[in-house]
Amino acid sequence: MEALRTKAKELLAQGEVQVVIGYEAGTAGVRRPCFVRTAESAIRLVWDTNCIGNLAGYLTRPEIKRFGKPAIVANNAVLRSLLQLVAERQLQQDAVLALAVAQDGVVTELPTAQAVEDYLAISPGGLSAADREKMEHLAQLSREERWTFWQRELERCIKCYACRSSCPMCYCGHCTMDCNRPQWVSVPSHALGNLEYHTVRAMHLAGRCVQCGECGRACPVGIPIHLLTCYAEESVHRQFGQQAGTRAKLDYALGAFRPDDKESFIR
Amino acid sequence: MSRIGVFVCHCGENIGSTVDCQEVAARCKQMPGVVHSEDYKYMCSDPGQSMIKQAIEEQGLDGVVVAACSPRMHEPTFRRAVSEAGLNPYLCEMANLREHCSWVHEETDSTTDKATDLVHLQVEKVKRNKPLQPIQVPITKTALVIGGGVAGIQAALDIADSDRKVILLERSPSLGGHMAQLSETFPTLDCSQCILTPKMVEAARHPNITLMTYSELEHLEGFIGNFKATIRKRARKIDEKLCTGCGLCLQKCPTRKISDGFNEGLGMRRAIYVPFPQAVPNTPVIDIQNCSHFRKKKCDRCVKACPTDAIRFEQQDEWITVDVGAIVLATGFKIMRSDQFPEYGYGAYPDIIDGLQFERLASASGPTQGVIKRPSDGKEPETIVFLACAGSRDAAKGVKYCSKICCMYTAKHAMLYKHKAPHGKAYVFYMDIRAAGKNYDEFVRRAIEEDGVKYIRGRVSRIYEEDGKLIVKGADTLLGGRPVEIKADMVVLATAVQPNDGQIDLARKIHVGCDEYGFFAEAHPKLRPVETNTAGIYLAGACQSPRDIPETVAQAGGAAAKVVALFSRDRLTREPLVAEVNRRPSPIYSDCVGCFLCETACPYQAIGQETVTDRDGKLYKTMAKINPGLCQGCGTCVATCRTKAIDLHGYSNEQIYAEIMSL
Amino acid sequence: MAKPFEPKITAFVCNWCTYAGADLTGTSRIKYQPNIRIIRLPCTGRIDFMLLQKAFARGADGIIVSGCHPNDCHYSSGNYHARRRWMVFNDLMEFMGVDGRRVTFSWVSAAEGTKWAALVNEVTDAVRQLGPYTEYQRLIGAGVA
Repeated sequence: MEALRTKAKELLAQGEVQVVIGYEAGTAGVRRPCFVRTAESAIRLVWDTNCIGNLAGYLTRPEIKRFGKPAIVANNAVLRSLLQLVAERQLQQDAVLALAVAQDGVVTELPTAQAVEDYLAISPGGLSAADREKMEHLAQLSREERWTFWQRELERCIKCYACRSSCPMCYCGHCTMDCNRPQWVSVPSHALGNLEYHTVRAMHLAGRCVQCGECGRACPVGIPIHLLTCYAEESVHRQFGQQAGTRAKLDYALGAFRPDDKESFIR
Repeated sequence: MSRIGVFVCHCGENIGSTVDCQEVAARCKQMPGVVHSEDYKYMCSDPGQSMIKQAIEEQGLDGVVVAACSPRMHEPTFRRAVSEAGLNPYLCEMANLREHCSWVHEETDSTTDKATDLVHLQVEKVKRNKPLQPIQVPITKTALVIGGGVAGIQAALDIADSDRKVILLERSPSLGGHMAQLSETFPTLDCSQCILTPKMVEAARHPNITLMTYSELEHLEGFIGNFKATIRKRARKIDEKLCTGCGLCLQKCPTRKISDGFNEGLGMRRAIYVPFPQAVPNTPVIDIQNCSHFRKKKCDRCVKACPTDAIRFEQQDEWITVDVGAIVLATGFKIMRSDQFPEYGYGAYPDIIDGLQFERLASASGPTQGVIKRPSDGKEPETIVFLACAGSRDAAKGVKYCSKICCMYTAKHAMLYKHKAPHGKAYVFYMDIRAAGKNYDEFVRRAIEEDGVKYIRGRVSRIYEEDGKLIVKGADTLLGGRPVEIKADMVVLATAVQPNDGQIDLARKIHVGCDEYGFFAEAHPKLRPVETNTAGIYLAGACQSPRDIPETVAQAGGAAAKVVALFSRDRLTREPLVAEVNRRPSPIYSDCVGCFLCETACPYQAIGQETVTDRDGKLYKTMAKINPGLCQGCGTCVATCRTKAIDLHGYSNEQIYAEIMSL
Repeated sequence: MAKPFEPKITAFVCNWCTYAGADLTGTSRIKYQPNIRIIRLPCTGRIDFMLLQKAFARGADGIIVSGCHPNDCHYSSGNYHARRRWMVFNDLMEFMGVDGRRVTFSWVSAAEGTKWAALVNEVTDAVRQLGPYTEYQRLIGAGVA
């Protein structure tokens, strides 16, 4: 943690970056995002196992961009988001300085997407064991049971869009949900609209989801909503052999094809 | 509120017998927005069309649905009728009551119900139709032909003869390509140079053709009718205007032992050279890799020899940008070399040669003046074995496809040899004889029956040298796989035809597709064989797939006809059913977030980018922009776009959504 | 007496292959059941998965999506992109418990008039057997305040 604070202080003092996006202590052991803009306040930064949130969502926010060049305290999820954002041309190769912190507190500076790619090649992240288990459990159920499961979950959705706001890949200025000509999905929260919303979100994140699980954590009513996007991403990985957030140059899986893509359901 | 008119056609009995057309028309009157509805026996007839026109004028309709046959049949008819009445033609839609309803269902209420639904669908759609104007694209009436072999020469001549300008680009110092290397051509055995060189001269002299040899395409941008090509003109180190082609410099050049590419390594050339005596242009080139002036900085014999002072050692490459409206790709092919076959000694035996080398040996202007001699010792061979399908139709060691020309040229080679050495023996190992073509099979029969060439159906497993002979071991599959062993003096491999060097790079540069082997891909294998997927870029010859000369010339003519047809108009008119990225007022500019995930989904490379900068010139936003000249309107980008920033004219999100909601 | 259940089938087809194939069914006078309503699009590449959602939302009991066979796309690769989209969508629907038997994907070329008729009849019969898609239709309007 000390190494991180020193590094942040140094970077800000030397003017190499204008803001360090990291975690600070919140209430009850919770870690919340903080935006350190002066060397003196680098002391606010913390790093421990509770720092699980994906901060990469802030990188594309105009109000954060206005601060100047950012450094970001990065776990694997942040690094993967960073690569995917570069692949989707939302960030330049060297626009962000990633500060990867290892378990022993050693800070590695990753100034370019290439450096991030190389770093991730050593310690790839991915779906957590718990999520994989949940997914496999669901897959074992009958179709009707899965329907019931998801209906029970989705009927609690209040369409607050916290999942969308927390997602580093939901950077679109104008979401499908905001579309009113035509009104693809109705505005109020109800059974049909909720199902449609979450299907659209999963489909739009297929081949783009970095599987950080942030949307699931953000959900105020506790719907494991990340399982949908993670599943869509797994589906892409399984069928087309590529994973979002692993390379800075990555063709969109659903914008590419191979003539010999194999399926068994088209008649 | 819309003012839609619905016109229900009975199509004689075709629709009327199973659908209650009167009832459908009556129900349509109840649909919101429909102000006029009627039915008639034959809507497409003159009186039928007049009814529509009259209603448009009298009722002030702003949309028309003709419920009749398939739009694939009469959509153009009714759109024209509608536009004659002053309504934008794209405000007319058709409901398919015949092919999709009356002809496939029995006469029941549900058939009439379905017909009503089909009309309702189109009513809801047409309400959201927008008047569209055909897209007009100006055309630069100059063509760029890339490749100066027979394909490129033919295409250039055909275009030039139609009074259009052509730039003919050739990578090597002379026109001619592979055909200039050939001895005689099947199935008539006329001399290749005799039929080709007049065309080369004609191309060089043609007032409409600008010849650019020793030049390559470096960069291409733009779209059909409006390409901008950057060409790299390599330095010959000779002032082309001063050079008379007298050849004195060639004789004085002291560097004489450079392997001659035109003769496939069977002869020697000098450091200043013309590839072959009939080269067009016959301006020499200095090969700076081998020239003593460039290597040792001391020789200037060519300078002294030149009567017109045309040698320019200081000359540099030039980059020239030209505007062209269409491009013909005629970049030809290469063949596999004999060193790619382990079972035939990896090229270790000089007397195992490939087909092009045999052509040079058999050519009267070749290194041996047309006498067949072994490369190793210059002796005339008494036995030659020809192997067809060396590398072709062989997924394991070569290529999967049939190289198409080898059966014929192998027969020709064997025949030429027998004509030159009647007592010599010629054997051909083959898999199948594919001699489909005018007078082709007769030609092969002649080789076998009149010239006594021995054909053995089977593969050769191994060739090795023993006592100055090449031992060819194979099997005769027609005799139950009986082993065959031939002591040969020379072996000729009919090696596989492959895409030319640099073809994939070129494809990438100009955004055309390649097939799995690297040949250029045509837009449609049956219906658009001379077009590529990029509008305005056409194909001729073996760059698309292995081809012989007649086919190449025919295709070059086809490509030229496409170019000339394109150039026959001043502007290109295209259906306006194209995709568009929406634009919004500042500071949003567009719903597009610039992720460019749609870019790879477009089959036509029609998606480019547009940037917005602020007053200080700082980049504010990058957005996708669709080039209406390239877009063909498939709509794949529309379904890919998450922000719904892209929409497709004629099949917009609002239209399709309304159609679904009408059901 | 209540009317027997007749399924509502919505089809999304491309203009160049399946729409033309269905035209051929017509010109060949091959009969099929009239439950189907065809929505014509230029290419399967244009068929947004949301269109399928909206069809269900309008009460469709079954959906057919059909276009050119691989390698035959009029736009050369629209159907390949569509195929990838359906591969993921189909998988996701299965995971969410949506009844996969209600959506049929197929390739019907402009020459396959017979295949089109057979496909429509097969799907109509199968969906009639399954009954109305109440599971989904119950959602329409459910929970609206």
